[in-house]
Amino acid sequence: MADTAGWRERAEETALLWVLVAIVAILSLLPLARLLFEGVAPGGRFSTAALSSVLSSATTWTAAQHSLVTACGGTALAVLIGATVAVLVGLTDIRGRNAFVFCFVLPLMIAPQVVALAWLQLFGPSSTLLKMIGLAPAMGSRNPLYSAEGIVLLLGVQYAPLVFLTLRAGLRTLPQELLEAGLAAGAKPLTILRTIILPLMTPPLVAGIALCFVSCLGNFGIPAFLGIPGNYLVLPTLIYQRLAGLGPSVLSEVAVLSCLIGFIAVLGIFLQDLMLRRRDFRITTTSNAMRPFELARWRPAVEIALWILTIVVLVLPLVALLLSSLVPAAGVPLTVKSATWSNYDYVLFDHAAAKRAFINSFSLSATAAIVIVLVAVPLAYFLVWRRSRLLRVLNLVAEMPYALPGVVLAIAAILVFLKPLPVFGLTLYNTVWIILFGYLARFLVLGLRPVIGGYYQLDRTLEEAAQIAGARLLRRLATIILPLVAPMATAGALLVFLTAFNELTVSALLWSSGAETLGVVVFSFQQGGDSTYAAALAMLTVAVTIALMLSTLLTGKPARGVLPWRG
Amino acid sequence: MARLIVDRVTKTFGAFRALDEVSLDVSDGEFMAILGPSGCGKTTLLRQIAGFDKLDGGRIVIGEAVVSSVTQHVPPERRRIGIVFQSYALWPHMTVAENVAYGLTVAGVRDPERARRVEAALALVELRGYAERRPSMLSGGQRQRVALARCLVTEPSLVLLDEPLANLDVHLRASMEEEFSRFHARTGTTMVYITHDQAEAMALADRIAVMDSGRLLQVATPSQLYREPADATVAAFIGEGIVVPAEVVDVDRNGRCRVDLFGLSVSMRCAPAQRPARKARACLRAGNLAIVGADASGIDARVVRAVYQGGHFRVEAQLDHADGVLVHMAVAEPCQLAPGSAIRIGIDDGWVLPEIGKVVDSIAPESADSRRPGGVAGADG
Amino acid sequence: MNYLLRGVWLAAALVSMLAPLSAQAQAPKGKLVLYTSQPERDATQTTTAFKQAYPGVEVEVFRSGTTEVMGKLAAEFAAGAPKADVLLIADAASMEALKKDGRLLAYPEAKVAGLAAGTYDADRTYFGSKLITTGIAVNTAAKNRPASWADLAKPENKGQIAMPSPLYSGAAAIMLGTMTARPDLGWTFFEKLKADEAVAVRGNGAVLTAVASGEKPYGVLVDFMAFNAKAKGSPIDFIFPAEGVPAVTEPVAMLKTAQNPAAARAFIDFILSDEGQKLALSMGYIPARASVGTPSWLPPGTVIKLMPTDIGNVVQNNSANLKRFSELFGN
Repeated sequence: MADTAGWRERAEETALLWVLVAIVAILSLLPLARLLFEGVAPGGRFSTAALSSVLSSATTWTAAQHSLVTACGGTALAVLIGATVAVLVGLTDIRGRNAFVFCFVLPLMIAPQVVALAWLQLFGPSSTLLKMIGLAPAMGSRNPLYSAEGIVLLLGVQYAPLVFLTLRAGLRTLPQELLEAGLAAGAKPLTILRTIILPLMTPPLVAGIALCFVSCLGNFGIPAFLGIPGNYLVLPTLIYQRLAGLGPSVLSEVAVLSCLIGFIAVLGIFLQDLMLRRRDFRITTTSNAMRPFELARWRPAVEIALWILTIVVLVLPLVALLLSSLVPAAGVPLTVKSATWSNYDYVLFDHAAAKRAFINSFSLSATAAIVIVLVAVPLAYFLVWRRSRLLRVLNLVAEMPYALPGVVLAIAAILVFLKPLPVFGLTLYNTVWIILFGYLARFLVLGLRPVIGGYYQLDRTLEEAAQIAGARLLRRLATIILPLVAPMATAGALLVFLTAFNELTVSALLWSSGAETLGVVVFSFQQGGDSTYAAALAMLTVAVTIALMLSTLLTGKPARGVLPWRG
Repeated sequence: MARLIVDRVTKTFGAFRALDEVSLDVSDGEFMAILGPSGCGKTTLLRQIAGFDKLDGGRIVIGEAVVSSVTQHVPPERRRIGIVFQSYALWPHMTVAENVAYGLTVAGVRDPERARRVEAALALVELRGYAERRPSMLSGGQRQRVALARCLVTEPSLVLLDEPLANLDVHLRASMEEEFSRFHARTGTTMVYITHDQAEAMALADRIAVMDSGRLLQVATPSQLYREPADATVAAFIGEGIVVPAEVVDVDRNGRCRVDLFGLSVSMRCAPAQRPARKARACLRAGNLAIVGADASGIDARVVRAVYQGGHFRVEAQLDHADGVLVHMAVAEPCQLAPGSAIRIGIDDGWVLPEIGKVVDSIAPESADSRRPGGVAGADG
Repeated sequence: MNYLLRGVWLAAALVSMLAPLSAQAQAPKGKLVLYTSQPERDATQTTTAFKQAYPGVEVEVFRSGTTEVMGKLAAEFAAGAPKADVLLIADAASMEALKKDGRLLAYPEAKVAGLAAGTYDADRTYFGSKLITTGIAVNTAAKNRPASWADLAKPENKGQIAMPSPLYSGAAAIMLGTMTARPDLGWTFFEKLKADEAVAVRGNGAVLTAVASGEKPYGVLVDFMAFNAKAKGSPIDFIFPAEGVPAVTEPVAMLKTAQNPAAARAFIDFILSDEGQKLALSMGYIPARASVGTPSWLPPGTVIKLMPTDIGNVVQNNSANLKRFSELFGN
């Protein structure tokens, strides 16, 4: 009766494993290998000239040091802000929670370059806002943001929502009795936080930290705006500078510098794995998510502090952006008479590319988010529960396209896809599909890390019970595992969507007419001195994203905790 | 016909032998308990039987098929068994009905057949009307029953239960024990029940397999285990047996022998193969001991303490001239014995432990439907 | 050696010989791939006008900063399958580099009549499409109005100057090469700027934003950007410094690997034709063919003193110059 030793099950599992291996390899190994090849064998001839010239230059190591400093500093700040907010929102009884989360997550949707610009304007003598309230600093005074501290500040503010999202999803699974046990033992809430909650939250926290570190390392927009004027270079801006130089060895030098970034990123990932390895963080009860701590007389003060944070981090830059989108040209003071809608007119009606850009960006980001999550769930299964060694190595490689600056990934993608694909004869180059490839490659880890954190929190007996019920792997993934990791998976999908929507550096080289993205169009405006058009388009992007997020509040009744701003 | 055969199964984790040549036969329809302290390997054995881990030696046969061996491994999905996990493992995102129906859905059974069977399963565990609830809304005992229903709805040939009552309170445990019992009687499913609680095992099982440190010590009916433990470990583990050194003086044919115990001569039971021996060990039960008057034959002892246990006292005493051997017995209330009082203890029976400590395995187990008399075996002379 | 703009003086009233636009022999068709670093709007207008003139041609445009365009080209060359047919980029130095690599295809029949000598390559591989000068931009609310480069570098302007970084902008690199070669400016000028804590930002767009918003009241900026912003109401003025202005010509060229050479040649024809030159004029640039006219913001009778640029020299010293600049303005 019993058939020959379950070959069907094994076949299914092996097939799935190899499909995943192929996907990750194509998305990350292929472009990087091609780039590496270019680094040591430009034009097909082996040469270590680029290697030696780059590694022996003092600028390289200064930039590397700067990269480490800003990445660590930015991560520390982001974790401080993000974790505090997550704990306050998730564990206490503050009011207006959903509205606050909505506003806090919003800055993630604004492109880093736009954020940098908005903050610069906010603090500069040009600040329309400050001029209006008469607090503008003297003309020509040095803007304090042009410094390493400014970069760290903006990086921390930019990526705090990242940490918040991953941590919040994890906090949702914290059951009541664990906290009540602590309270019963007489511990004060702060002690419980320190000794019970934070240790249990280590997986999502570490996932958030790793993601944050790698994001800061590969961020181009903020150091480009704040660092270049003062010649404070980090590795991504150094690469950009090299590209601007002329010469045939440009690509090999870029390749070598990219490897340096990659190396630093890998170190960070090793640390994350090490921290999660021999500790069991499983939460096995199925009881309700816990009732919050009560703040009593601290509540109003905490709420005010949180809203002030929101205003500073979100509202002020947005207002600055809005105001500069309403003036007819840069520098014109905003008065009732000078205010105009002409910028919006131009962007919406006269400029065909902007309209196309909205559609392209939206479809590309949504597709990337969905595909990545669908890949991430089985991928994380093999990584966490099957401990497939092959996949673990590939996992490290998959970090690279995110850690490296977008322009490097774009170049690698061009190198790979310039010629038509072998068997099929299709050309992806200069179509939206190469941009999709770029997004999938780059943002895979954004979607994967939260899901991995989710798996660490799952009790494996839930899967074993399904196995016993006769369900094969694919079915278990779809009916049991996916619903259980849904909160973390959605956090990941959201991150991917938001980041891809405003993405610039990858699309800047890969786009072609008809395949513009929003980030590219905003950037073009800025470069051409049309800062008012750039501001108008950026505002429209923010408006559309807010609308999208609001629309999620109207749809049915998703599982609890899937969307962070829905209670 | 055996439903489950475990044949010299070995499992090592690095240098640590979690299972050491464990062999076990479970007959069709039998209720077998696997009993042992934490870390003895019973959960490892369960996982081997279920197919979650691969073994390093031996084989496992379910029904007529070899499901695990060194060369082949049937995945859990294909073994057609049921498991009730210690944590119940109910899927929180599904209702009770969906939880129970899962196995049927996987097997391709559709409504109305599927709904009917789910309904029947819920009725079997007396949870009719709970179909649309979520697991988080249920109490521990209710979740337990849902887990059981889910396990049974697919009518498996073998059901494994991993310490299912461990998380329940005492009263609930008692009623759930009854539940399992009735259920087993009604359906005749072969059940393998993992537990560290001997009272549970004794109450429910047809036979009990005692494990310690990865080895199987003895497989026998509860009564046999209690009355004729195979070695000192089993003796001490089951029913708090008191193991004492003794000298076997002579053996007679019908399973009894004369034993010298600290100078006292006692008639005890022994294995048929028992020979006279100078350094034997005997197992005494609290029920074999009683306080006797100073003129009766017995051993002198000193009371260490007397603990009230509701209706009787558990009296612990230290034997004089016996290297501080501690014994305990039950004394009906009222009991005026203060610690330090001198008493005399009479011994009316005992069991001589078989010397080589080999596993005493009943070749012909009592059939599933003839259960030994309920309750803990009393002292019988 | 090719010389560009050697001592050319432009007078507004100068009339050069007018070369009539050649009749189109056989209409080119198919797809034309253009890579350009022009500003967005200008690129759109150019391609639209070209399509009207040559309706059979479908234009595919890649528009980005010079860095991105050069990077994309480099990647395509490395992969062995360049896609571009024509290039229209900011500065001749990049063109020289491409010419040296043998990537450009000469177009000897191009209609260069009327173009100022030196605005196009002697070997006819690339042709300047317009004249973009770099001068001093001031915010109308600024205290001083520097009349010369020397004035700009005065210590009283400390902390208030923005300039485009030659590390990121090809046009600024040419400016660097041109000005450091002059005895009256040289590296001393830039050292003085550094002492004045001048900020080297990424591109002319950033300079415009800085000056117009008042963040840095004085800037080194290209002419058309300042004037276009002023026309829209920005509080910005443009000054032609006394020593003269460096200029770039935004050259157009076709690649040797062009897949549609006929359409590429048609594009070059269009850019150099009166129609194309008038288009440049309407976009606010000084056209390369003087006879077409001058932009509205240039007061009639203004004489623009162009600094001579030895393009070969500039290219040769480029990496040394950039290195020195980077060290000077580094921290």
